Amino acid sequence: MADSDEEYVGEVTEDEDDLQVTRGDNSRARRKQRGGAEWELSRTWETLVEGADGTINSTVEGLLEAGKRKRLLKDTTPLQRGIIRHLILILDLSQSMSEKDLRPTRYLLTLRYAQEFVREFFEQNPISQLGVLGLRDGLALRVSAMSGNPTEHLTAIQTLKTQDPKGLPSLQNGLEMARGALFEFSHTPSHGTREVLFIYGSLLSSDPGDIHRTIDTLISDKIRVGIVGLGAQVAICRELCTKTNGGDETAYGVALNEQHFRELMMDVTTPPAAYSQKESASSLLMMGFPSRTVESSPSLCACHSKPSRGGYLCSRCNSKVCSLPAECPSCGLTLILSTHLARSYHHLFPLINWVEVPWRRASRSSACFACGLSFPSVPPEDHWQTAENQTKGMSVSSRYECTACHNHFCIDCDLFAHEVVHNCPGCQSRSNPLHSGARSQTSGGVDTMV
Amino acid sequence: MNSVDASEHYELGAPDLSPSLLTIVIDTNPHAWAVLEDSLPLSKAIANILVFINAHLACNYANEVAVVASHSQKAAWLYPSHSEPQYRPADHDGDVTMNGTSDTTTPKTNKYRPFRIVEEQVTRNLKELMDSTTGDDLRGNMSTMLAGALTLALSHINRRTLAWAEEHGGANTEDAAADGNGGGTTSTNRYSASNEDERLQSRILVVSVSGSTDAAHQYIPVMNSIFACQRLSIPIDVCKLSGDAVFLQQASDATKGVYMALAEPRGLLQYLMMAFLPDQRSRRHLVLPTRVDVDFRAACFCHRRVVDVGFVCSICLSIFCEPPPGGDCMTCGSHLDIRDNAKPALLPRKKKKKKRVNGASGTGTPMSTPTPGP
Repeated sequence: MADSDEEYVGEVTEDEDDLQVTRGDNSRARRKQRGGAEWELSRTWETLVEGADGTINSTVEGLLEAGKRKRLLKDTTPLQRGIIRHLILILDLSQSMSEKDLRPTRYLLTLRYAQEFVREFFEQNPISQLGVLGLRDGLALRVSAMSGNPTEHLTAIQTLKTQDPKGLPSLQNGLEMARGALFEFSHTPSHGTREVLFIYGSLLSSDPGDIHRTIDTLISDKIRVGIVGLGAQVAICRELCTKTNGGDETAYGVALNEQHFRELMMDVTTPPAAYSQKESASSLLMMGFPSRTVESSPSLCACHSKPSRGGYLCSRCNSKVCSLPAECPSCGLTLILSTHLARSYHHLFPLINWVEVPWRRASRSSACFACGLSFPSVPPEDHWQTAENQTKGMSVSSRYECTACHNHFCIDCDLFAHEVVHNCPGCQSRSNPLHSGARSQTSGGVDTMV
Repeated sequence: MNSVDASEHYELGAPDLSPSLLTIVIDTNPHAWAVLEDSLPLSKAIANILVFINAHLACNYANEVAVVASHSQKAAWLYPSHSEPQYRPADHDGDVTMNGTSDTTTPKTNKYRPFRIVEEQVTRNLKELMDSTTGDDLRGNMSTMLAGALTLALSHINRRTLAWAEEHGGANTEDAAADGNGGGTTSTNRYSASNEDERLQSRILVVSVSGSTDAAHQYIPVMNSIFACQRLSIPIDVCKLSGDAVFLQQASDATKGVYMALAEPRGLLQYLMMAFLPDQRSRRHLVLPTRVDVDFRAACFCHRRVVDVGFVCSICLSIFCEPPPGGDCMTCGSHLDIRDNAKPALLPRKKKKKKRVNGASGTGTPMSTPTPGP
């Protein structure tokens, strides 16, 4: 339906506007219509150029590096993201998952990626809750309950590997169970998001009732649904995603291949941007960061009145609670493990992107500042231009520079610093915190934000 | 994936045990070492650490070591020294190695070569580092660049892990195949601890002397490094000679490393050899001296104080030690509602109630609590 509409609009503009504009419009409309199918047109072999020695080694390496780099160049402007998420992951365990169009099978690959998803999800959203459901034989079954502990989910998904996919899936049953699980925590706080992610391999849904009614309740409960399809686009899935995401279609993606499947799933681990200021009531909360103690003799904890030796002492009134996060039973102070908060700080102060270094400035360094990998030496000046033409999306000199400390790094350290450590080795190991050193990262973040 | 093509049984033969990489972060903050001068001078500590390094290198011929100094104004490599290749030729001829060790020339030829190289480089680089430290650097600066040293150490570990995986490509075939599928997003897979036994075993040992309250301004970068270690399953061992390090306790706790505060710094070598020498694989069979009570305090963003009760912005989770002026969060700029400030404002109200009760009973609050206690 939507497709034919767009084409029609394109034809109308053709009549009204001049030729060049219509051509632009037309192609855009066509591209839109094709959706994710653009990849079919990219001729990867044409980008290969033989090097001086007759091999394609250098180009291949260049392409690899460009790929790494592309992944890195993300937007570093801080924006408000909802990192307290409540997400239900629903896996299709029906017979359509035994297809082998994704290697080794859809089923095994889904389970593998689901495990990676769980790890990555808690890496990105440390104070969030996750639950896993499965769809099999027309029923929704609970794989693991809502919890914040990744190992529980991982072992639960692991046990699925020994079972076989069978029967038909039911979207509606899955959605209803997910809705129940999201509200099972009746205290699901208003500041968290409520999300459902389907991995859906089937092209049908055998439902016991009217799914549109379920969709309406999802909308009123403010639950966002995302779907990763494995076969082809399904109208009801699309409608479900569009309606529950306020008209945004991007939550529905169909995997083209294994890599694309993985990317679609991993995209969901990034905390969603909060829709508006209003949605999350901004307030200043007083919180305690208690330290863990172990006593020589057991004593009762204030929360469950169970005898235990280890526990956390409330930083204000010293009553003992056995696990965190918790609200102190006697003084009402919110007690939280400071590491839970600190895990999210790299979202708050993202490391600025490093810039590529042209040959002109490359002579300053001969080795990566952090790991000591030696850089290629600077060629004579007349070779600069040709070298620059060969490389796209990567640094000619294989050097990347932090704009704050002006040290040069290799691509691997660049990746590592931005994806894992979230620190700049140069800025952190420089003297004088008064000027820029350790504080530069912080103040930089604040500046861009204000 | 092996279970699918039934090739599992081919990998049953005992694999070579992968070597381990020990990265030592030495806190060389002169202020703190000056305090320790009587019991354990820096020179003696370095000698002890060198013996420990030799012991580590002797465990396995492929074992590697790296040493980073966390000095008061910068973090620097002691071994391997990356800038060396240019530095050495500057001395015109091949006799350079003698240069650094001119003080102890004669018996060196009989020494196991890896031992000698480490010893020479560490002592020479440390000397250079100390010589480059000026009085001005020390005057205004009591802290140590722990975050930088950890980040450098992690970068080096990353480089060595990648290099090692490349050399021993066979060990990671399964992962590589998966990565091939994963294509663009390989890194998360590579970084996650999928098959620990087949990777280069890395660990970090921090020999710490400074108090951590001075290092509160590095709270975020230090925590970032800790989480990176946790993600890569690299334990951070902490050998604490003096002071008390809040963040290092959290580091060893989060990464399942060994934390020891030495009661007797003179026994440094003994502690190192007994508690810190075993690598991850051996540690599974040992009862480790870990710390059970951990200080989980955080540093506030506004005054860099270490706090145990703080105000947290609900938008960005920044920690403040007192409500920010004007009610605007200093990090994300969002206005924090005065109405919602009611939470801390609840406290005085409660106290008032108590006071009324106390007024009736005639005693202060501290008196009333002990009575039901025993």
